[in-house]
Amino acid sequence: MRGWLQKGTASFWPGLLVGLSILAAPRGLQPAGRVGRDVLVPCARNVSNELKRYEASHTSMGTEFAVVAYGQDVRLLAETVEEVFQEIDRIDEQMSNYKPESELSLINREAASRAVRVEPSLFALIQKSLQYSEDTGGGFDITVGPLMKTWGFFRGEGRVPSPGELHAVLAHVGYQHVKLDPAIRTIHFDVPGIELDLGGIAKGYAVDRAVSILRENGVAAALVSSGMSSIYALGAPPDEEGWKIILRDPFDSTVPADVVYLKNFSMSTSGNYNKFFTLGGKTYSHIMDPHTGMPVENMLSTTVFVANATDSDALSKLYVLGPEGSRRYLATHPNIQALFYLPVGSKKQFKRVLLQSDSHNLPPDTLVKILR
Amino acid sequence: MDEQGEVTRREFLKTATTATAVLVLPRLSEGASQPGVASSNSTVNYGIIGTGTEGCTLLRALTRISGAQCVATCDIYPPNQKKGIETAGSNPQLYEDYRRLLDRKDIDAVLIATPLHLHALMLLDTLSAGKHVFVEKSMFFKEEEEIPIRKAAAAHSKQVVQVGLQRRSDALYQCAIDMIRAGAVGKVMFVRAQWHRNSDWRRPVPDPKYERLINWRMYREYSGGLMAELASHQIDVANWAIGAEPISVVGTGGIDYWKDGRETCDNAQTIFEYPGGQKLVWSSILCNAHYDFNEQIMGDRGTIEITLGKGLFYTEHVAKVSQGATKESWWAGATVTELAKQQGLPIFPETVPPDEGFFARENRYAREWLMRHGYRTIPENDAWYEELTNFIASVRDSKPVACGLDQGIADARAVIYGNRAIDTGRKVFWPKTIG
Repeated sequence: MRGWLQKGTASFWPGLLVGLSILAAPRGLQPAGRVGRDVLVPCARNVSNELKRYEASHTSMGTEFAVVAYGQDVRLLAETVEEVFQEIDRIDEQMSNYKPESELSLINREAASRAVRVEPSLFALIQKSLQYSEDTGGGFDITVGPLMKTWGFFRGEGRVPSPGELHAVLAHVGYQHVKLDPAIRTIHFDVPGIELDLGGIAKGYAVDRAVSILRENGVAAALVSSGMSSIYALGAPPDEEGWKIILRDPFDSTVPADVVYLKNFSMSTSGNYNKFFTLGGKTYSHIMDPHTGMPVENMLSTTVFVANATDSDALSKLYVLGPEGSRRYLATHPNIQALFYLPVGSKKQFKRVLLQSDSHNLPPDTLVKILR
Repeated sequence: MDEQGEVTRREFLKTATTATAVLVLPRLSEGASQPGVASSNSTVNYGIIGTGTEGCTLLRALTRISGAQCVATCDIYPPNQKKGIETAGSNPQLYEDYRRLLDRKDIDAVLIATPLHLHALMLLDTLSAGKHVFVEKSMFFKEEEEIPIRKAAAAHSKQVVQVGLQRRSDALYQCAIDMIRAGAVGKVMFVRAQWHRNSDWRRPVPDPKYERLINWRMYREYSGGLMAELASHQIDVANWAIGAEPISVVGTGGIDYWKDGRETCDNAQTIFEYPGGQKLVWSSILCNAHYDFNEQIMGDRGTIEITLGKGLFYTEHVAKVSQGATKESWWAGATVTELAKQQGLPIFPETVPPDEGFFARENRYAREWLMRHGYRTIPENDAWYEELTNFIASVRDSKPVACGLDQGIADARAVIYGNRAIDTGRKVFWPKTIG
């Protein structure tokens, strides 16, 4: 089944139904037993044996997080999802570059003048981000903040900077300027003006934290979505092999482009179609090439399928590298698929390119089935 | 006063004291003539009593309405007399005694924009004179004025009675109420409203002898203070949104900042309770204007916040619970930003230019969202213009009034009982026989 894909090479979509399914678990749902509060207060909950579906949303990180979860105890589901939203808010409070009081903002203000000690989970996420930067040759870069501001994508309406401005701002962009000392968990910038922006990874991280909380509370089937862009499918809905997810057309949010079935897996999308501005007939998207300081062109969207949402969020920035540039990364990193939508001429048409890691052997009880 | 019994005209007049000696006495004749119902093709001749700030606001709007002509104005303060004639622009006859204006047979309709303590008196006399009437809010000043007004309105049922609670004619508020009726905010349980200013709320007085005439709002003899002049509008919005009038009120207030000889409160806070347990929490202060003016209507599914000229809609994040499996289908794509949604969806979004930025585009999505849900209407004109267009149409073509007797009475009662709660420090319940 996998033979149609050439490892690490761009391959145009054959227009056929393509499945990459590894389905091990029996159908249906077996909610895990729960210890803790239930044991202490055995009669407190009115638990019916009927399966309930609980769906809720929450605005945080400038987008809307949605969670749907199945279980037998609605109150437990409600309380768990409330805990999920509190955790997402906590992450936003810590990692937002829009909030001056956040830990990230403090790092941005002070790390050029002194080594700032960082909370472990944030430190680990920054460490991971720098690793992505190295592995993608700077395609993914959490220091693009000043660039985003110059282009007016931070609390602005968008503007085109002059070449002089771009040159000046690029002196303050580059992950190499971020120095970490893991032994004492400190961060230091070796030039002034560096600003970290976790907008390309924090939402995925938040989805993963949400999934951990759901798992800890015995939820066996749930879907978590951060503004549609980073999704994790936990288990599968009742009597389904996976969660059905419709990937939108890059030109029309109401038109399906591809349908994906996911189980215990994540997908994230970066696209040029939601955050952009037009000036003089030209469209400028918010996804920057950190090397040139210019918006990436000739790419509509990139969707990456990988085991967790932190990784899929960050790797959706393979968008910057494009299919050709992504090949080297996929040759050395296993179990990733990347689906690129590329523009065709000036019409509202696109072509698909699906790549996957040279080594692609997904664990059992995992499903990634991409249908056109 | 016996609510069931007859109230004689003389008894009424004893209660409706006009302490301002400069203002004319009411006329005592009872002769009820037929209303001057104009035909669709004829011009409605109107007179206006009181051409101060509010009266001239009404006049300015009226001058833009075709088929209506100001033939008479009445005021006792010379600068307002001049202002009224100029604003009307139709060379109206000036009166100092409103009864002479009412004597004119060629006048179809009368607008009353005088200090509050004169409303009931002039309203009754206007109805007696067979004229249609538009009376500014609050409709009346004293509790005992309600029954005579009800009786007079019933006796002159062919005459239009409209109350100047102009939010009823405001497209923004109408849209908000449509949204509420359509379930956009779910069950309305709480309304928070305030009118905050940072000023002494006085008008300039060129000669001290005019102090009480110009600053009548400061004196309890003529005015219900902040409750009557400001809360009345917002109580009306709450009554409209909740679909009922209150059953009780608690309140506090005082003269705590502007200790300048005024008699009415410079701050007031009240909590009104409605039959379904809904609450209206209202405040007015005159020492801080940061939160200015707004009404927040809160239901279990959303919030509508209205400030001057701007309405925002916020949805509540409410979990959906269902039994058994659903055919799951989720959409994926680049991050959908929700900043506009967090900041509220504008009920009347501004026009978005074609070369739009992404915040503007979010606003456009918000507008599309509202349109998809059938909530959007176009603001056409200011509320005074709409309100008076409605009044003239009611007079000429028997169109229903936007704000009639019942709404005006409910509003006036809430003002009176709200002030009583503040004055006594006790919870005031609406009388059982009304409401």
